[in-house]
Amino acid sequence: MSVQDLTNAIISGINAGGEQFLEGTLAAMLPVMWLAILGLHLGRPYILDMIDRFTLRLGADLLWLIYVALRDLLIVSGVVMSFMFFFPDVVITDQLPLTGGLAAATLFGVLLIKLMGDPDHDPRAYAAITYLLGIGALFYFVPYLLGVQANAVSAGRTADISNFLVTSTNPFWAVGMAYVSIALLAIMGAVAAGYTILTGGRAEVPAAEAQADAAK
Amino acid sequence: MKPDDISTAITQALIQGGAQWLVATIVAFLPALWTMALILHLGRPYVLRTLRRCGLRLGADVWWMSYLLMRDAVLVLTFALSWIFFEPNIVTGSPLPITGPLAALFLLFALAVKIARRVDDDVNAYRLSTAALVIGATLYYFPLVFAVEAASQEHLSWFAQNLTSNANVPLALGIMWVSLAGVALVAAWLFFRALASANRSMTRRATARPVSPAREPAAVAQ
Repeated sequence: MSVQDLTNAIISGINAGGEQFLEGTLAAMLPVMWLAILGLHLGRPYILDMIDRFTLRLGADLLWLIYVALRDLLIVSGVVMSFMFFFPDVVITDQLPLTGGLAAATLFGVLLIKLMGDPDHDPRAYAAITYLLGIGALFYFVPYLLGVQANAVSAGRTADISNFLVTSTNPFWAVGMAYVSIALLAIMGAVAAGYTILTGGRAEVPAAEAQADAAK
Repeated sequence: MKPDDISTAITQALIQGGAQWLVATIVAFLPALWTMALILHLGRPYVLRTLRRCGLRLGADVWWMSYLLMRDAVLVLTFALSWIFFEPNIVTGSPLPITGPLAALFLLFALAVKIARRVDDDVNAYRLSTAALVIGATLYYFPLVFAVEAASQEHLSWFAQNLTSNANVPLALGIMWVSLAGVALVAAWLFFRALASANRSMTRRATARPVSPAREPAAVAQ
C-alpha cells in the first residue's frame, strides 16, 4: 500500500463516516422533533387557557406569537430534516424508518393546510391538521420503534417484520416509498406555489379580483 | 511503510479530506436552506393572517420583523453558499446538480427583484420573485434527487450520467460559465442601480436642506 492509497482510504473514511454520522444524527433527532411538534400542537388548549389569565394584552400577544412561531418553525424544521428520505442512495444505505418519507409528506400537508386555511380559527382545518399529524407520527414511530430500534432484539417472524420496516434491509420498498413521497411533495409544492402566486402573497385574494377571475 | 509515511498520509488526508468535508457539508445543507427559503417565502399569506390578529402594534411589528429577517437572511445565505457552484475545480471534481449554477442565478434574480421593487407592497413583484424562486428550486431539486442522490438506481442512470456535474464536465462547465455571466450582469445592474439611487437621494436631500438662518447674513456680507 502506497502513501497515496492510505491517504485516499482515510479521506474516503472521513467523508463516508461523516455523511453517515450526519444522517444518523438527523434520524436520531427526528423522533424528538416529532414529539415536540405533537406536544405543541396538542397543547393549544393549555396555551389558550393561559392567555385568558393575562391581565396585560402585551403579555398575551407575545405568548401567543412565541407559541405559534415555535410550533410552526418546528414543523418547518421537521420537513427540512426529513429531506434525506427523498434521496434513493441515502435510504438504501442508512437504517431509516420505511415510511419516514410519507411522514415528511404529511408534515408538508400540515403546512399546506396552514397556508390555504385558518386552522387556528376553523375547527375543520384544525381537525384535518390533527389527523395528519397523528397519521404522520404513526408513519414515523411505528417503523422507527419496531424496525430501526428493534431489529437487534427481534427473532423469527418478528425479525422479518422488523427488517421489512427498515430501509437498508428493504431497498425495493424503500426506493418505492421515496418516489411516492417525492411525488406527493412535488404535487403539494406546486399547489402551494400556485396558491401564493394567485394571492400575490396576500392573506387572501380580494373579493373583486376573485369575481373577475371567476367571470373569466 | 515508515511512521513518517503514515504521518504524511494522515496530514494530507486531513487537509484534503477536510476540504472535501467542507464542500460536502455545504452541499448537504443546501437542500435544507432551499426548502426553508421556499417555505418562508410561500408562507407569507399565513404570516399575514396571524399578524392581523395581534391586538397590539408592538406584537405585530415584532412578528413581521422576525419573519422578514429570517426569510431574507435565509435567501441571502442560500445564495452565498451556492457560490460553490461557480468554482470550476469543485464543479468538475464533486458530484453536484448540473443546473445548480442556474438555480443560484434565479435565486439572485429573486433577490434583485426584492431590492429593485417593493415586493411586500407590489403584488406583481411578489409574483415575479416567487416564480424565480420556484424555477430555481426546481432546477436545484430535480438533478439532486434523480441524479446526484440516485447513482445506485439503474433505471435513473441516464440522469446520473448527464445531470451530475463531475459525470458530464463539458456541459457542467458550460452551464457554470453562462450562469456566472448572468450573475455578473445582475450584480453589475444592482451595483449601478444602488449607486444611482444613492446619488439621487443624497442630491435631493442636499438641495432640499434649508440654509441655516444664523449663517445666511454672514454669507451675504461676504
